[in-house]
Amino acid sequence: MTRRILIMFAVLALVAVGLGFYALHLKRKVARDAQTASEQQLALTPQSNGPPEPVTLYVADDNDGTLHKTQVSVAMPVERSERARAALRTLFTQYLKTASTHPIGKDSDVRQVFLMDEGTAIVDADSAFADAHPSGVLAEELTVASVVLTLNANDSKITRVKILVNGQERETLAGHADLKRFYEASNIGQVVKDMQ
Amino acid sequence: MTPRFALGDKRVRVWLGVMLPVAVLAFLFAYRATVHAQSADQLTVYSPQTTYSVPMLNMQGIPYVGLIELLEPLGSVEGRVDGKKYKLRFTPPGGHAVEAQFNEGKDKSKILGENYKLPGNFAQQNGRGYVPLNAVPEVLTKLLAKPMQLHPSARRLFIGDVPMRFSMSLDKSTPPKLVVSFPAPVNPSIANEPGRTRFTFRREPVISSGQDSVNFSDSAITSAVFAEHDGLAELDVMATEPLMANFADGGKTIIVSPVPPPPPPTPAAPAPQAQAPAQAPTAPAKPTGPRFLVIIDPGHGGAETGAMITPTLLEKDVVLTLGRKLQHELQAHGIAAWLLRNSDVAIALDQRANATNGARAALYITLHAANTGRGVHVFTSLLPPTTAERTSFLPWDTAQAAFLDLSGTVAGSVAAELENRKLPNATLVAPLRPMNNIAAPAFAVEIAPPGDQVEDIASPQYLDQVAQSIAAGVAAVRSKLPEVRP
Repeated sequence: MTRRILIMFAVLALVAVGLGFYALHLKRKVARDAQTASEQQLALTPQSNGPPEPVTLYVADDNDGTLHKTQVSVAMPVERSERARAALRTLFTQYLKTASTHPIGKDSDVRQVFLMDEGTAIVDADSAFADAHPSGVLAEELTVASVVLTLNANDSKITRVKILVNGQERETLAGHADLKRFYEASNIGQVVKDMQ
Repeated sequence: MTPRFALGDKRVRVWLGVMLPVAVLAFLFAYRATVHAQSADQLTVYSPQTTYSVPMLNMQGIPYVGLIELLEPLGSVEGRVDGKKYKLRFTPPGGHAVEAQFNEGKDKSKILGENYKLPGNFAQQNGRGYVPLNAVPEVLTKLLAKPMQLHPSARRLFIGDVPMRFSMSLDKSTPPKLVVSFPAPVNPSIANEPGRTRFTFRREPVISSGQDSVNFSDSAITSAVFAEHDGLAELDVMATEPLMANFADGGKTIIVSPVPPPPPPTPAAPAPQAQAPAQAPTAPAKPTGPRFLVIIDPGHGGAETGAMITPTLLEKDVVLTLGRKLQHELQAHGIAAWLLRNSDVAIALDQRANATNGARAALYITLHAANTGRGVHVFTSLLPPTTAERTSFLPWDTAQAAFLDLSGTVAGSVAAELENRKLPNATLVAPLRPMNNIAAPAFAVEIAPPGDQVEDIASPQYLDQVAQSIAAGVAAVRSKLPEVRP
């Protein structure tokens, strides 16, 4: 019986020490996770080596307040989220041209596109996209609509889109268009028909 | 061998009874200490340059503040651990560097070469130095050579001569007006609750004027209570009627008064004025029946300028002018209209919706301007229509959905009036904030230049035409929009 008592004391002592180490481990893990989150940087998209293929773009036009459907030929990656990102970068390239019908801020880029489930895409744009976007109800709506419809046109499984800026939720794009909500491609499609 | 202890032995049972709870308590204490250190309070610091918050760590029940976090927004600061010593060097902008030295676990320190005894022990964590909260005023006074004022229970620190005292006076005319005056512009968030309107000051160093609770002996605006806690200040205005707040004097004055009752039944056009009045129209003493109140929300304001129409013409200014003209035009049609913003102040989007819903508006009109496109765009909310009833409780994010049919009716009427005046126009839907949160018929108007000259967007003739079109459009369908009981 003496041995059992001693073992029990030893076990209790080990449990107490173990719990202490566990608490220390938790503390360090919380600090490490916080640091990792703050230092996390997204890798650049790998360049695609595939053959050029047609990409459908919905390009906004500020002059008549409409979206024009067009196709361009671009080398696309294989992976779905990378393809979505490449399609949006192609759209942004159109907007960044000097003679763009719908200029957006210099250095605007898409950092990542996350496909959350079959139908939902989270677009993470860089700060320049929102900070330097021309301010206006219609101008901002056209940008949001063109992003949503371009994604849906090139991957019909994407039916719902949310836009983040620099990994963070933002209240509006440039003071007007709501960026806190999810946009349904079908709803936006109806808007475009109304515009035309 | 004779056992010295047995489980049945009373001493062993006592030992086990003590050891087990001790082990569990030790773990819980260690875990709590870990979690508590991570989820600390915040100290709000008000300085002449900026307002900022720094986290506080709770160490053995005493709140501690990091010196680097405290000084970083005020200048250049370096902290260096040297064994048990922590050396700090701070250089204010355009000033000379000052140095201080602290000792881990001790209350002895040296600031600018002079010995100073902290009211608690200095602490180091992850190479950073922390002083007890109640040592902060004296340490900073020595380092910055400025007077400090710490409100420890409210978690607020005031550096230099920044505290703002306010004054209140109640004008007992009809309707009564509570005038709250500040020495500098303020931008509180405003929340309307039954019987109370709360102004929350998060960034402004507003402090008590000496009397925290004031009774007004008025049947409508009964009292006001000031309080500060958790790094902010609050002013509660108690009332027996819904209240609205107007900003005046560049944001230095807040005028609080009851939401106006219905206008006289026979619309009588008053003499035209250069600008609409900034305050509530005078009206009968007590609202008794339903009334039709239009809230006009000129977008943006303050540092949030909106679109830059030209390098010298900002959206926030154009829409404020348009809003004042629209208020005048609506009043000319016998429709009570309030400006949500009547000066150059920033109001948060949720706050705009809160104020509108709190005022139980019959119609909400938000005004915007852009330098792209041409003419006038009239927007209703981009929300799927719903069959939900217009009850008292609606989902915040989709409150507007229940009013889309009425919103469309009035937007269509406004577009028809724009057409009558031969102004290029289009009726669209848009995901515009805070329109989705408005529990009343609502639409937005975005004006673009009428022709090739961008500057013409601000021409008085153009703004007059737009304001007249909107007011006429609203007046034409007023009978189709429900009046609202105040």
